Amino acid sequence: MKIILVCSAGMSTSMLVNKMRKSAEERNIEAEIKAVAESELKNNMENLDVVLIGPQVRYLEKKIKEQVEPKGIKAAIIDQMAYGMIQGDKVLDQAINLMK
Amino acid sequence: MNNRFMQKFIEIAGRIGSQRHLVAIRDGFVAIMPLVIVGSLAILVNNFPAFGDFKFVEWMNGIFGDGNWQQVGGSIWNGTFAILGLLIAFSIAYNLAKSYSVDGLSAGLISAAAYIMLVPWTGDGGLNAAWMGTQGLFVAIILALILTELFRILVNSKFTIKMPEGVPEGVARSFTALIPATLILILVGLFQALMAVFAEVSVFEVIFTAIQKPLQGLGNTLPAAIIIAFVNHILWFFGLHGTNIIGSVIEPIYLPLIEKNLDLFQGGMSAFDVPYVVTKPFLDSFVFMGGSGTTIALLIAIFIVIRNEQKHPYREVAKLSAPAGLFNINEPVIFGLPIVLNPVMLIPFILVPVTLTIISYVALATGIVPKTVAILPWTTPPILSGYLVTGGSWRGIALQIVNLTVAVLLYIPFVLAGARTLKQRMEGK
Repeated sequence: MKIILVCSAGMSTSMLVNKMRKSAEERNIEAEIKAVAESELKNNMENLDVVLIGPQVRYLEKKIKEQVEPKGIKAAIIDQMAYGMIQGDKVLDQAINLMK
Repeated sequence: MNNRFMQKFIEIAGRIGSQRHLVAIRDGFVAIMPLVIVGSLAILVNNFPAFGDFKFVEWMNGIFGDGNWQQVGGSIWNGTFAILGLLIAFSIAYNLAKSYSVDGLSAGLISAAAYIMLVPWTGDGGLNAAWMGTQGLFVAIILALILTELFRILVNSKFTIKMPEGVPEGVARSFTALIPATLILILVGLFQALMAVFAEVSVFEVIFTAIQKPLQGLGNTLPAAIIIAFVNHILWFFGLHGTNIIGSVIEPIYLPLIEKNLDLFQGGMSAFDVPYVVTKPFLDSFVFMGGSGTTIALLIAIFIVIRNEQKHPYREVAKLSAPAGLFNINEPVIFGLPIVLNPVMLIPFILVPVTLTIISYVALATGIVPKTVAILPWTTPPILSGYLVTGGSWRGIALQIVNLTVAVLLYIPFVLAGARTLKQRMEGK
Protein backbone atom coordinates (compact mmCIF):
# COMPACT_ATOMS: atom_id res chain seq x y z
CA MET A 1 0.00 0.00 0.00
CA LYS A 2 1.05 3.55 -0.60
CA ILE A 3 0.44 6.23 2.02
CA ILE A 4 1.15 9.93 1.67
CA LEU A 5 1.24 12.40 4.52
CA VAL A 6 0.52 16.01 3.66
CA CYS A 7 1.84 18.75 5.88
CA SER A 8 3.30 22.22 5.49
CA ALA A 9 7.06 22.18 5.40
CA GLY A 10 7.52 18.43 5.73
CA MET A 11 9.68 18.80 8.84
CA SER A 12 7.87 17.30 11.78
CA THR A 13 5.87 14.93 9.62
CA SER A 14 9.02 13.25 8.38
CA MET A 15 9.77 12.10 11.93
CA LEU A 16 6.34 10.48 11.99
CA VAL A 17 6.98 8.88 8.61
CA ASN A 18 10.11 7.19 9.93
CA LYS A 19 8.18 5.76 12.88
CA MET A 20 5.43 4.52 10.57
CA ARG A 21 7.92 2.79 8.29
CA LYS A 22 9.50 1.07 11.26
CA SER A 23 6.10 -0.03 12.49
CA ALA A 24 5.16 -1.37 9.05
CA GLU A 25 8.42 -3.28 8.89
CA GLU A 26 7.86 -4.86 12.29
CA ARG A 27 4.40 -5.99 11.26
CA ASN A 28 5.58 -7.24 7.89
CA ILE A 29 3.33 -4.86 6.01
CA GLU A 30 4.64 -3.78 2.67
CA ALA A 31 4.03 -0.07 2.57
CA GLU A 32 5.41 2.92 0.76
CA ILE A 33 5.09 5.91 3.08
CA LYS A 34 6.22 9.43 2.47
CA ALA A 35 5.53 13.04 3.41
CA VAL A 36 5.02 15.77 0.83
CA ALA A 37 3.89 19.39 0.73
CA GLU A 38 0.34 19.96 -0.44
CA SER A 39 1.45 21.36 -3.78
CA GLU A 40 3.37 18.15 -4.50
CA LEU A 41 0.42 15.88 -3.90
CA LYS A 42 -0.78 15.87 -7.48
CA ASN A 43 2.55 14.50 -8.66
CA ASN A 44 2.30 11.56 -6.29
CA MET A 45 -1.12 10.20 -7.10
CA GLU A 46 -0.01 7.05 -8.86
CA ASN A 47 -1.01 3.83 -7.06
CA LEU A 48 -1.86 5.95 -4.06
CA ASP A 49 -4.14 4.38 -1.45
CA VAL A 50 -4.38 6.78 1.47
CA VAL A 51 -3.69 10.47 2.07
CA LEU A 52 -3.21 11.50 5.69
CA ILE A 53 -3.43 15.21 6.45
CA GLY A 54 -1.36 16.81 9.22
CA PRO A 55 -3.56 18.44 11.85
CA GLN A 56 -1.90 21.84 11.37
CA VAL A 57 -3.12 21.99 7.78
CA ARG A 58 -6.54 20.51 8.51
CA TYR A 59 -8.10 23.32 6.48
CA LEU A 60 -6.86 21.53 3.38
CA GLU A 61 -9.12 18.55 4.09
CA LYS A 62 -11.96 19.58 1.81
CA LYS A 63 -9.68 20.53 -1.05
CA ILE A 64 -7.67 17.33 -0.83
CA LYS A 65 -10.74 15.13 -0.54
CA GLU A 66 -12.20 16.72 -3.67
CA GLN A 67 -8.92 16.05 -5.39
CA VAL A 68 -8.39 12.40 -4.44
CA GLU A 69 -11.72 10.82 -3.57
CA PRO A 70 -13.01 10.61 -7.16
CA LYS A 71 -9.98 8.38 -7.78
CA GLY A 72 -10.93 6.07 -4.95
CA ILE A 73 -8.17 7.34 -2.71
CA LYS A 74 -9.06 7.70 0.95
CA ALA A 75 -8.17 10.83 2.90
CA ALA A 76 -8.38 11.83 6.56
CA ILE A 77 -6.82 14.12 9.14
CA ILE A 78 -4.23 12.45 11.34
CA ASP A 79 -5.34 11.94 14.91
CA GLN A 80 -3.93 14.96 16.71
CA MET A 81 -2.59 13.19 19.79
CA ALA A 82 -1.00 10.40 17.79
CA TYR A 83 0.59 13.04 15.58
CA GLY A 84 1.94 15.02 18.49
CA MET A 85 3.35 11.99 20.27
CA ILE A 86 4.76 10.66 17.01
CA GLN A 87 2.99 7.33 17.44
CA GLY A 88 3.83 5.69 14.15
CA ASP A 89 1.92 2.49 14.82
CA LYS A 90 -1.31 4.31 15.69
CA VAL A 91 -1.19 6.43 12.57
CA LEU A 92 -0.42 3.36 10.50
CA ASP A 93 -3.49 1.71 12.05
CA GLN A 94 -5.51 4.75 11.07
CA ALA A 95 -4.36 4.38 7.47
CA ILE A 96 -5.12 0.66 7.42
CA ASN A 97 -8.58 1.22 8.87
CA LEU A 98 -9.29 3.82 6.22
CA MET A 99 -8.59 1.30 3.50
CA LYS A 100 -11.05 -1.23 4.85
CA MET B 1 -15.33 27.23 23.85
CA ASN B 2 -18.19 27.76 21.45
CA ASN B 3 -17.92 25.01 18.92
CA ARG B 4 -19.74 26.74 16.09
CA PHE B 5 -17.53 29.80 16.41
CA MET B 6 -14.46 27.60 16.35
CA GLN B 7 -15.51 25.77 13.22
CA LYS B 8 -16.18 29.08 11.51
CA PHE B 9 -12.80 30.43 12.57
CA ILE B 10 -10.93 27.39 11.30
CA GLU B 11 -12.86 27.55 8.06
CA ILE B 12 -12.07 31.22 7.45
CA ALA B 13 -8.42 30.91 8.45
CA GLY B 14 -8.23 27.86 6.25
CA ARG B 15 -9.70 29.67 3.30
CA ILE B 16 -7.11 32.42 3.69
CA GLY B 17 -4.38 29.84 4.19
CA SER B 18 -5.22 28.02 1.00
CA GLN B 19 -6.18 31.02 -1.14
CA ARG B 20 -4.48 30.43 -4.48
CA HIS B 21 -2.76 33.80 -4.95
CA LEU B 22 -1.59 34.04 -1.36
CA VAL B 23 -0.22 30.51 -1.56
CA ALA B 24 1.61 31.41 -4.78
CA ILE B 25 3.17 34.45 -3.09
CA ARG B 26 4.19 32.42 -0.06
CA ASP B 27 5.63 29.56 -2.10
CA GLY B 28 7.39 32.07 -4.33
CA PHE B 29 9.21 33.42 -1.32
CA VAL B 30 9.88 29.94 0.05
CA ALA B 31 11.49 29.02 -3.26
CA ILE B 32 14.05 31.84 -3.14
CA MET B 33 14.90 31.24 0.53
CA PRO B 34 18.07 29.22 -0.23
CA LEU B 35 19.44 32.12 -2.29
CA VAL B 36 18.46 34.61 0.39
CA ILE B 37 20.21 32.60 3.09
CA VAL B 38 23.37 32.14 1.03
CA GLY B 39 23.43 35.85 0.23
CA SER B 40 23.06 36.67 3.89
CA LEU B 41 25.80 34.25 4.94
CA ALA B 42 28.12 35.78 2.37
CA ILE B 43 27.66 39.16 4.05
CA LEU B 44 28.22 37.63 7.46
CA VAL B 45 31.49 36.02 6.38
CA ASN B 46 32.66 39.24 4.72
CA ASN B 47 32.05 41.17 7.93
CA PHE B 48 32.91 38.47 10.43
CA PRO B 49 33.41 39.72 13.98
CA ALA B 50 36.77 39.39 15.71
CA PHE B 51 37.22 36.58 18.23
CA GLY B 52 39.40 38.23 20.86
CA ASP B 53 42.68 38.78 19.08
CA PHE B 54 41.82 36.71 16.04
CA LYS B 55 40.49 39.04 13.37
CA PHE B 56 39.23 36.82 10.56
CA VAL B 57 38.58 39.62 8.07
CA GLU B 58 42.01 41.21 8.53
CA TRP B 59 43.68 37.80 8.39
CA MET B 60 42.03 36.96 5.07
CA ASN B 61 42.86 40.41 3.71
CA GLY B 62 46.47 39.78 4.72
CA ILE B 63 46.57 36.64 2.58
CA PHE B 64 44.67 37.75 -0.52
CA GLY B 65 45.24 41.48 -0.49
CA ASP B 66 42.78 44.05 0.68
CA GLY B 67 39.21 43.28 -0.34
CA ASN B 68 40.08 40.63 -2.94
CA TRP B 69 38.60 37.61 -1.21
CA GLN B 70 35.54 39.64 -0.21
CA GLN B 71 34.64 39.86 -3.86
CA VAL B 72 33.37 36.30 -3.59
CA GLY B 73 30.77 37.32 -1.02
CA GLY B 74 30.10 40.54 -2.88
CA SER B 75 29.27 38.78 -6.11
CA ILE B 76 27.08 36.28 -4.27
CA TRP B 77 25.15 39.30 -2.97
CA ASN B 78 24.81 40.64 -6.50
CA GLY B 79 23.33 37.39 -7.73
CA THR B 80 20.90 36.96 -4.84
CA PHE B 81 19.70 39.97 -2.84
CA ALA B 82 20.51 42.50 -5.52
CA ILE B 83 18.04 40.88 -7.95
CA LEU B 84 15.35 39.65 -5.54
CA GLY B 85 12.64 41.53 -7.44
CA LEU B 86 13.44 39.70 -10.62
CA LEU B 87 13.67 36.31 -8.87
CA ILE B 88 10.33 36.86 -7.16
CA ALA B 89 8.67 37.91 -10.41
CA PHE B 90 9.67 34.54 -11.81
CA SER B 91 8.96 32.32 -8.84
CA ILE B 92 5.50 33.67 -7.98
CA ALA B 93 4.36 33.48 -11.60
CA TYR B 94 5.73 29.94 -11.79
CA ASN B 95 3.88 28.83 -8.66
CA LEU B 96 0.61 30.51 -9.59
CA ALA B 97 0.65 28.95 -13.08
CA LYS B 98 1.41 25.54 -11.55
CA SER B 99 -1.61 25.88 -9.26
CA TYR B 100 -3.76 26.29 -12.39
CA SER B 101 -1.95 23.35 -14.00
CA VAL B 102 -0.73 25.53 -16.85
CA ASP B 103 2.88 25.81 -18.01
CA GLY B 104 4.74 27.29 -15.02
CA LEU B 105 8.07 27.71 -16.75
CA SER B 106 6.61 29.84 -19.55
CA ALA B 107 4.58 31.95 -17.11
CA GLY B 108 7.69 32.54 -14.99
CA LEU B 109 9.80 33.55 -17.97
CA ILE B 110 7.15 35.95 -19.28
CA SER B 111 6.83 37.57 -15.89
CA ALA B 112 10.62 37.95 -15.56
CA ALA B 113 10.84 39.45 -19.06
CA ALA B 114 8.05 41.92 -18.28
CA TYR B 115 9.77 42.90 -15.06
CA ILE B 116 12.95 43.82 -16.91
CA MET B 117 10.88 45.76 -19.47
CA LEU B 118 9.54 47.99 -16.72
CA VAL B 119 12.78 48.57 -14.79
CA PRO B 120 13.94 52.17 -15.26
CA TRP B 121 17.23 52.79 -17.06
CA THR B 122 20.17 54.79 -15.81
CA GLY B 123 21.56 57.78 -17.69
CA ASP B 124 24.34 55.77 -19.31
CA GLY B 125 22.04 53.07 -20.62
CA GLY B 126 22.17 50.39 -17.95
CA LEU B 127 19.41 48.83 -15.90
CA ASN B 128 18.89 50.78 -12.69
CA ALA B 129 20.08 48.25 -10.12
CA ALA B 130 18.13 49.92 -7.32
CA TRP B 131 14.88 48.55 -8.73
CA MET B 132 16.14 45.02 -9.35
CA GLY B 133 16.23 44.18 -5.67
CA THR B 134 13.76 44.40 -2.82
CA GLN B 135 12.65 47.92 -3.73
CA GLY B 136 10.89 46.35 -6.68
CA LEU B 137 9.32 43.56 -4.68
CA PHE B 138 5.74 44.80 -4.81
CA VAL B 139 5.93 45.49 -8.53
CA ALA B 140 7.22 41.95 -8.95
CA ILE B 141 4.32 40.48 -6.96
CA ILE B 142 1.62 42.50 -8.71
CA LEU B 143 3.13 41.84 -12.11
CA ALA B 144 3.49 38.10 -11.54
CA LEU B 145 -0.13 37.76 -10.38
CA ILE B 146 -1.71 39.84 -13.15
CA LEU B 147 0.37 38.49 -16.01
CA THR B 148 -0.08 34.90 -14.95
CA GLU B 149 -3.86 35.36 -14.79
CA LEU B 150 -3.69 36.80 -18.32
CA PHE B 151 -1.43 33.96 -19.43
CA ARG B 152 -3.81 31.36 -18.05
CA ILE B 153 -6.80 32.91 -19.76
CA LEU B 154 -4.96 33.16 -23.09
CA VAL B 155 -3.51 29.65 -22.95
CA ASN B 156 -6.93 28.20 -22.29
CA SER B 157 -8.44 30.26 -25.11
CA LYS B 158 -8.28 29.85 -28.89
CA PHE B 159 -5.19 32.07 -29.16
CA THR B 160 -2.67 29.26 -29.14
CA ILE B 161 -0.83 27.33 -31.78
CA LYS B 162 -1.63 23.64 -31.56
CA MET B 163 1.17 21.43 -32.85
CA PRO B 164 0.36 18.13 -34.57
CA GLU B 165 0.85 14.93 -32.65
CA GLY B 166 4.36 13.56 -32.50
CA VAL B 167 6.00 16.93 -31.88
CA PRO B 168 8.15 16.68 -28.75
CA GLU B 169 6.41 18.08 -25.68
CA GLY B 170 9.00 20.78 -24.99
CA VAL B 171 8.65 22.17 -28.50
CA ALA B 172 4.86 22.00 -28.45
CA ARG B 173 4.81 23.80 -25.14
CA SER B 174 6.93 26.69 -26.30
CA PHE B 175 4.64 27.14 -29.31
CA THR B 176 1.57 27.06 -27.08
CA ALA B 177 3.09 29.90 -25.10
CA LEU B 178 4.10 31.91 -28.16
CA ILE B 179 0.93 33.88 -28.86
CA PRO B 180 0.04 34.49 -25.19
CA ALA B 181 3.61 35.66 -24.56
CA THR B 182 3.51 37.99 -27.58
CA LEU B 183 0.21 39.57 -26.53
CA ILE B 184 1.25 39.97 -22.90
CA LEU B 185 4.62 41.53 -23.65
CA ILE B 186 3.11 43.97 -26.18
CA LEU B 187 0.61 45.02 -23.52
CA VAL B 188 3.39 45.54 -20.97
CA GLY B 189 5.38 47.49 -23.55
CA LEU B 190 2.41 49.76 -24.32
CA PHE B 191 1.84 50.31 -20.64
CA GLN B 192 5.49 51.20 -20.15
CA ALA B 193 5.41 53.67 -23.04
CA LEU B 194 2.20 55.31 -21.80
CA MET B 195 3.63 55.69 -18.30
CA ALA B 196 6.85 57.19 -19.65
CA VAL B 197 5.19 59.62 -22.07
CA PHE B 198 2.16 60.81 -20.14
CA ALA B 199 3.00 60.30 -16.49
CA GLU B 200 6.76 60.69 -16.91
CA VAL B 201 7.26 58.41 -13.96
CA SER B 202 8.17 54.79 -13.56
CA VAL B 203 5.61 52.30 -12.26
CA PHE B 204 8.32 51.15 -9.85
CA GLU B 205 8.47 54.55 -8.15
CA VAL B 206 4.70 54.87 -8.02
CA ILE B 207 4.15 51.51 -6.35
CA PHE B 208 7.13 51.87 -4.06
CA THR B 209 6.03 55.23 -2.64
CA ALA B 210 2.31 54.48 -2.64
CA ILE B 211 2.28 50.95 -1.24
CA GLN B 212 5.60 49.47 -0.26
CA LYS B 213 7.12 52.32 1.73
CA PRO B 214 4.10 53.03 3.97
CA LEU B 215 3.67 49.31 4.68
CA GLN B 216 7.33 48.97 5.60
CA GLY B 217 7.08 51.98 7.88
CA LEU B 218 4.14 50.35 9.63
CA GLY B 219 5.93 47.03 9.76
CA ASN B 220 8.87 48.41 11.71
CA THR B 221 6.73 49.39 14.71
CA LEU B 222 6.16 47.63 18.01
CA PRO B 223 2.37 47.35 17.54
CA ALA B 224 2.91 45.60 14.20
CA ALA B 225 5.34 43.14 15.79
CA ILE B 226 2.87 42.46 18.60
CA ILE B 227 0.01 41.93 16.16
CA ILE B 228 2.07 39.43 14.19
CA ALA B 229 3.05 37.52 17.32
CA PHE B 230 -0.57 37.57 18.51
CA VAL B 231 -2.20 36.44 15.25
CA ASN B 232 0.39 33.73 14.70
CA HIS B 233 -0.23 32.22 18.11
CA ILE B 234 -4.02 32.47 17.99
CA LEU B 235 -3.87 30.47 14.76
CA TRP B 236 -1.56 27.87 16.30
CA PHE B 237 -3.83 27.63 19.33
CA PHE B 238 -6.56 26.49 16.99
CA GLY B 239 -4.12 23.96 15.58
CA LEU B 240 -3.48 25.86 12.36
CA HIS B 241 -0.06 26.56 10.93
CA GLY B 242 0.15 30.25 11.86
CA THR B 243 3.46 31.14 10.23
CA ASN B 244 2.30 29.46 7.05
CA ILE B 245 -1.00 31.30 6.89
CA ILE B 246 0.35 34.79 7.51
CA GLY B 247 3.58 34.17 5.59
CA SER B 248 2.28 35.66 2.35
CA VAL B 249 1.67 38.97 4.11
CA ILE B 250 4.79 38.99 6.28
CA GLU B 251 7.46 38.15 3.71
CA PRO B 252 6.88 40.98 1.18
CA ILE B 253 6.84 43.58 3.93
CA TYR B 254 9.71 42.33 6.03
CA LEU B 255 12.20 41.01 3.50
CA PRO B 256 13.08 44.54 2.27
CA LEU B 257 13.68 45.66 5.86
CA ILE B 258 16.27 43.00 6.62
CA GLU B 259 17.76 43.56 3.18
CA LYS B 260 18.34 47.22 4.01
CA ASN B 261 20.00 46.23 7.29
CA LEU B 262 22.20 43.70 5.51
CA ASP B 263 23.16 46.12 2.80
CA LEU B 264 24.23 48.84 5.22
CA PHE B 265 26.03 46.28 7.40
CA GLN B 266 27.88 45.14 4.32
CA GLY B 267 28.87 48.74 3.65
CA GLY B 268 30.59 48.90 7.02
CA MET B 269 27.83 50.24 9.27
CA SER B 270 27.73 48.67 12.71
CA ALA B 271 24.82 46.39 13.59
CA PHE B 272 23.82 48.91 16.27
CA ASP B 273 23.26 51.62 13.71
CA VAL B 274 21.31 49.82 10.98
CA PRO B 275 17.76 51.21 10.78
CA TYR B 276 15.23 48.42 11.23
CA VAL B 277 14.33 46.72 14.51
CA VAL B 278 11.47 44.45 13.46
CA THR B 279 12.45 41.84 10.90
CA LYS B 280 11.61 38.21 10.44
CA PRO B 281 14.98 37.07 11.87
CA PHE B 282 14.18 39.33 14.85
CA LEU B 283 11.03 37.32 15.55
CA ASP B 284 12.62 33.96 14.71
CA SER B 285 15.68 34.47 16.90
CA PHE B 286 14.40 36.38 19.90
CA VAL B 287 10.74 35.34 20.16
CA PHE B 288 10.02 32.03 18.42
CA MET B 289 12.79 30.16 20.21
CA GLY B 290 12.08 26.46 19.97
CA GLY B 291 9.22 27.27 17.63
CA SER B 292 6.03 29.34 17.95
CA GLY B 293 5.10 29.97 21.57
CA THR B 294 8.77 29.89 22.60
CA THR B 295 8.02 26.28 23.45
CA ILE B 296 11.63 25.52 24.31
CA ALA B 297 10.92 27.49 27.50
CA LEU B 298 7.80 25.39 28.06
CA LEU B 299 9.89 22.22 27.82
CA ILE B 300 12.37 23.61 30.36
CA ALA B 301 9.48 24.61 32.63
CA ILE B 302 8.11 21.06 32.45
CA PHE B 303 11.49 19.55 33.32
CA ILE B 304 11.75 21.93 36.30
CA VAL B 305 8.21 21.38 37.61
CA ILE B 306 7.99 17.64 37.07
CA ARG B 307 11.27 16.24 38.31
CA ASN B 308 10.23 13.14 40.19
CA GLU B 309 7.55 11.40 38.17
CA GLN B 310 9.51 9.96 35.29
CA LYS B 311 6.38 8.61 33.60
CA HIS B 312 4.32 11.78 33.89
CA PRO B 313 2.60 12.47 30.55
CA TYR B 314 3.94 16.05 30.41
CA ARG B 315 7.47 14.80 30.97
CA GLU B 316 7.04 12.16 28.31
CA VAL B 317 5.92 14.75 25.76
CA ALA B 318 8.71 17.11 26.77
CA LYS B 319 11.35 14.39 26.39
CA LEU B 320 10.00 13.44 23.01
CA SER B 321 9.84 17.05 21.84
CA ALA B 322 13.22 18.21 23.10
CA PRO B 323 15.52 17.06 20.26
CA ALA B 324 13.40 18.63 17.51
CA GLY B 325 12.68 21.59 19.76
CA LEU B 326 16.34 22.59 19.71
CA PHE B 327 15.87 23.19 16.01
CA ASN B 328 12.66 25.16 16.52
CA ILE B 329 10.38 22.36 15.37
CA ASN B 330 7.58 22.02 17.88
CA GLU B 331 4.62 20.16 16.45
CA PRO B 332 5.09 17.32 18.95
CA VAL B 333 4.57 19.58 21.96
CA ILE B 334 1.86 21.66 20.27
CA PHE B 335 -0.26 18.64 19.38
CA GLY B 336 0.99 16.19 21.99
CA LEU B 337 0.77 18.13 25.23
CA PRO B 338 -1.50 19.47 23.75
CA ILE B 339 -1.42 23.23 23.48
CA VAL B 340 -4.07 23.18 20.78
CA LEU B 341 -7.47 24.07 22.26
CA ASN B 342 -6.10 23.61 25.77
CA PRO B 343 -7.58 26.49 27.81
CA VAL B 344 -4.84 26.28 30.47
CA MET B 345 -2.13 26.78 27.90
CA LEU B 346 -3.87 29.51 25.90
CA ILE B 347 -2.75 32.32 28.20
CA PRO B 348 1.00 31.61 28.38
CA PHE B 349 1.15 30.51 24.76
CA ILE B 350 0.12 34.02 23.72
CA LEU B 351 1.44 35.96 26.70
CA VAL B 352 5.00 34.66 26.43
CA PRO B 353 5.68 35.59 22.80
CA VAL B 354 3.99 38.97 23.14
CA THR B 355 6.05 39.75 26.26
CA LEU B 356 9.27 38.65 24.57
CA THR B 357 8.45 40.76 21.52
CA ILE B 358 8.16 43.83 23.74
CA ILE B 359 11.37 43.07 25.68
CA SER B 360 13.34 42.42 22.50
CA TYR B 361 11.97 45.48 20.76
CA VAL B 362 12.99 47.70 23.64
CA ALA B 363 16.43 46.08 23.88
CA LEU B 364 17.13 46.65 20.18
CA ALA B 365 15.47 50.02 19.83
CA THR B 366 17.39 51.50 22.75
CA GLY B 367 20.67 50.17 21.40
CA ILE B 368 21.44 47.74 24.22
CA VAL B 369 21.50 44.87 21.72
CA PRO B 370 22.56 45.16 18.05
CA LYS B 371 19.85 44.85 15.41
CA THR B 372 19.45 41.89 13.08
CA VAL B 373 21.86 41.74 10.17
CA ALA B 374 21.60 38.11 9.02
CA ILE B 375 18.94 35.78 7.69
CA LEU B 376 19.33 32.32 9.10
CA PRO B 377 17.49 29.11 8.36
CA TRP B 378 14.62 29.13 10.84
CA THR B 379 15.91 25.82 12.19
CA THR B 380 19.08 27.45 13.62
CA PRO B 381 19.16 26.59 17.36
CA PRO B 382 18.78 29.43 19.89
CA ILE B 383 22.05 30.85 21.33
CA LEU B 384 23.79 30.17 18.01
CA SER B 385 21.07 32.14 16.24
CA GLY B 386 21.32 35.02 18.73
CA TYR B 387 25.02 35.29 18.05
CA LEU B 388 24.86 35.09 14.27
CA VAL B 389 21.76 37.19 13.73
CA THR B 390 23.32 40.21 15.45
CA GLY B 391 26.40 39.97 13.25
CA GLY B 392 28.34 38.09 15.93
CA SER B 393 27.52 39.82 19.20
CA TRP B 394 27.41 38.20 22.65
CA ARG B 395 24.64 40.68 23.45
CA GLY B 396 22.39 38.77 21.08
CA ILE B 397 22.99 35.64 23.16
CA ALA B 398 22.44 37.58 26.37
CA LEU B 399 19.05 38.80 25.15
CA GLN B 400 18.05 35.25 24.24
CA ILE B 401 18.99 34.04 27.71
CA VAL B 402 17.05 36.85 29.37
CA ASN B 403 14.07 36.08 27.14
CA LEU B 404 14.25 32.36 27.87
CA THR B 405 14.38 32.99 31.61
CA VAL B 406 11.34 35.26 31.46
CA ALA B 407 9.51 32.72 29.32
CA VAL B 408 10.29 29.81 31.67
CA LEU B 409 9.10 31.82 34.68
CA LEU B 410 5.87 32.71 32.87
CA TYR B 411 5.23 29.10 31.85
CA ILE B 412 5.89 27.50 35.26
CA PRO B 413 2.59 28.45 36.99
CA PHE B 414 0.63 27.20 33.99
CA VAL B 415 2.51 23.92 33.88
CA LEU B 416 1.68 23.48 37.59
CA ALA B 417 -1.99 24.26 36.92
CA GLY B 418 -2.07 21.99 33.87
CA ALA B 419 -0.49 19.12 35.78
CA ARG B 420 -3.03 19.55 38.59
CA THR B 421 -6.01 19.46 36.21
CA LEU B 422 -4.56 16.41 34.53
CA LYS B 423 -4.16 14.65 37.88
CA GLN B 424 -7.71 15.48 38.95
CA ARG B 425 -9.05 14.16 35.71
CA MET B 426 -7.10 10.92 35.98
CA GLU B 427 -8.15 10.36 39.59
CA GLY B 428 -11.75 11.23 38.75
CA LYS B 429 -11.92 8.30 36.38
